[in-house]
Amino acid sequence: MWDQVGQALKLSTTKMLSQLAALLPGIVALVFAVLVAVLIALVVSAILRRSLAGFEFDRRVAEWGFPAVAEWSPSSSPTLLVTRAIAWIVILMGFLVGISAFDGALPSQFVVRLFTYLPDVAAAIVVLVAGSIIARFLARSVLIGAVNMNLQYARLLSVGVKWLVTVLAVTIAIERLGIGGGIIRLAFGILFGGIVLALALAVGLGSKDLVSRSLERETSKAAAPNMKEPVGHL
Amino acid sequence: MELDAISQPELEQIERAGSADLVIGIFDLERQEDGSSAATITREALAEFATPLRAIVVSNNGTHSPAVAAPEVAGDNHSPIVSSYSLPLPGSAETPQQSISNAYRQVFAIGSKLGVRACGVIASRDHNVTRQWIYRLVQPVMDLGFDLVAPCYTRQKMEGLLNRNVLSPLHRALYGEQLENPMGPDFGLSGKLLQQILGRDSARRAGTELNILASISSAAASGGFQVCETQLGVRTQRPTDWGNLSTLLSEVLGATFIDMEGRAAHWQSIRGSKILPRFGSPETPSSDTGTVDVHGMIESFQLGTQNLQDVWGLILPPTTLLELKRLSRLPEDKFRIPDHLWVRIIYDFALGHHLRTISRDHLLRSITPLYLGWIASYALEMQTAGLAEVDARIERLSKAYEDNKSYLVSRWRWPDRFNP
Repeated sequence: MWDQVGQALKLSTTKMLSQLAALLPGIVALVFAVLVAVLIALVVSAILRRSLAGFEFDRRVAEWGFPAVAEWSPSSSPTLLVTRAIAWIVILMGFLVGISAFDGALPSQFVVRLFTYLPDVAAAIVVLVAGSIIARFLARSVLIGAVNMNLQYARLLSVGVKWLVTVLAVTIAIERLGIGGGIIRLAFGILFGGIVLALALAVGLGSKDLVSRSLERETSKAAAPNMKEPVGHL
Repeated sequence: MELDAISQPELEQIERAGSADLVIGIFDLERQEDGSSAATITREALAEFATPLRAIVVSNNGTHSPAVAAPEVAGDNHSPIVSSYSLPLPGSAETPQQSISNAYRQVFAIGSKLGVRACGVIASRDHNVTRQWIYRLVQPVMDLGFDLVAPCYTRQKMEGLLNRNVLSPLHRALYGEQLENPMGPDFGLSGKLLQQILGRDSARRAGTELNILASISSAAASGGFQVCETQLGVRTQRPTDWGNLSTLLSEVLGATFIDMEGRAAHWQSIRGSKILPRFGSPETPSSDTGTVDVHGMIESFQLGTQNLQDVWGLILPPTTLLELKRLSRLPEDKFRIPDHLWVRIIYDFALGHHLRTISRDHLLRSITPLYLGWIASYALEMQTAGLAEVDARIERLSKAYEDNKSYLVSRWRWPDRFNP
C-alpha cells in the first residue's frame, strides 16, 4: 500500500512539476517582455522629455488655455505627465505581449478583449478633451459677455456653463466606455437638471436683490438716451 | 486688383458712362439722402475749382440701379459735369463700421476702374455736409499734390474718445505722424494712394474681412505719401450705444491691430513724430452742457477687475494686474489711471492680439471694462477743464504713447524674453 501511496505522490509531483515546467517559458517570456518594455519606455520617455522641453511644452500648455493640466501633473510639469503616461502605456503593452506568450486560452481572450476596448477608450479621451476645450471657451465667452453687460453674477453664470458642458462630456465618455448603462443616463439627467435648477434658484431666489439691482441698472441705462449724454467714442 | 465690391458688369457700365477726374462718395447710413442733392452739392463744390471737372457721385440713397444717372450740367462749358450712381443698400446683418468699410471699397473700386485723379469720401451724417466739406477734402489733392487729406472736427471734450485716447496717439507713436482722426471717416485721397490701398486690401482679404478705414492713414504713412489735415467743423456724432460698446471696440481695435501687425517691419524703426500741414481754421465748439456719469463706468471697471483676472492674466504682465487691482479699490474721487499704465495696456493688448494668446474675439471684448475705467478717469480729470487744457492733456497722453514705444517694440520682438 505504501508503495502505491508513494507512486501516487510521485506521479502527482511529476505532473505538477511538468505543468510548472510547461508554464516556465511563458513566465520567462513575460518577465523578458516586461523588462524589454521597461527599457523601451525609459528610452522613449527620455527622448520625449527632451523634445517637449525644447518645444517649451509646459509654457505652451498654459498658453493654449489649460493651466489646470499643470496642477494635475507631477511636479506641476505637464511634460512629466505626458512622458510618464507614455512610459506606462509602453510597459502595459509589454505586459500584454508577455501575457499572450502563455499558451492558455484565457489570457489570449483577455488580451483580445482589451484590444477591442481600446478604440472606445480613445474615443472617450477625445470626447473629454474636446469637452474640456469647449467648456473653457464657452465659460470665457459667457464671463466676458456678462461682465460687459455689467451683470454682478457673471462668474456664477460662467461656472454654471462650464460645469454643464463638462458634465455632458463626462457622461458621453462614460457611456462610450460602457460603464454603468442606464444609471449613468439617469444620473446625468438628475445632475444636469439639478445644476439648472440650482442656477435658477440661485439667480431667482438666493440672489434676487442682486438680480433686481442689475435689472434696475439695465432699465436706467435704457432710459439714458433721453438724458444729455455728451460721451462719443469715434 | 480689388474689384469684387461691385459686380464686373456694373463697373463696365460705369466705365461706359464716361471718364471722370474724381469720384465723390457721400454716405449716410442712418438717414438716406436724396441722391440728386448729393450731386448738386458736389457740383457746387467743384465749381470753386479753376478748371471744369468731371465727377461721379456715389451715394447709398436706396435707389440702386446698375446704370449711372445722366450727368447734371449747368448751361456753360466751364461748369463741372457730375454723374451719380447709387450703391446697393447695406445688408441688415452689417454693423455701421462694416457698412462704411464696404461702401469705401465700392467707391475705391469705381475710382480705380475710372482711373480718377482724386477721391473724396464723406461718411458722416449728411445734414452737416456742405459743399465746403467736399472742396476741403479734394482741393489739397487736386491743386496741392497731397495724397491723403484727413479730417479735423470741432468736438466737445468728451467726444471722439476712442480717437483721442487710442487711435490718434497710437498712430502717432507707430507711424510718426500727428493725425487727429486716423480712421476718418471722411477722407480725400489721390488716385495713386487709392490704387495702393486697393492692391494691398485685395492681397490681404483672402482669409479675413478687414475694415479698410483702419489701413488708409497707415498705408499713406508707410508708403511715403504726402499727408495733410483739413478743418471740417462740427461733426454730429451718433448717440452712444452703450449696449454694443464691446462690439464697437472689438471692430475698431481689431482692425487697427490687424493693420498694425501687417506693417510691423515699418513702424518698429520709427521714432518721434512730426506735425502735418493743416488747412482751414477751427470753429469754436458750442458750450458743453452735459455731465458724464462716471459711477457706472467705474463700477464696470471694478467688476472687470474682480472677474476677468484670469483672462487679463494671459495678456497683461503681473505688474499691470497688480496696479489694476490697486486702482479698483480707490474711492471714486481719487480714481485716476496713470498714462503709462493705459498706454502699456493698449500695447499689451496689441501684442496679445498679434500672438493670439487667447481667442481674438475674447481678447478684444475683454478690454471694455478697462476702456470704461480709462474714460472715467479721463472724465474726472477733465471735469472742469477748458478746451486748451483738454488739448494739452491729449498731447501729454500722446507723448506717453511715444515714450513707451520701446516697450512695445521690445515685447513685439522678444515676447518670451521681455516680460516685466
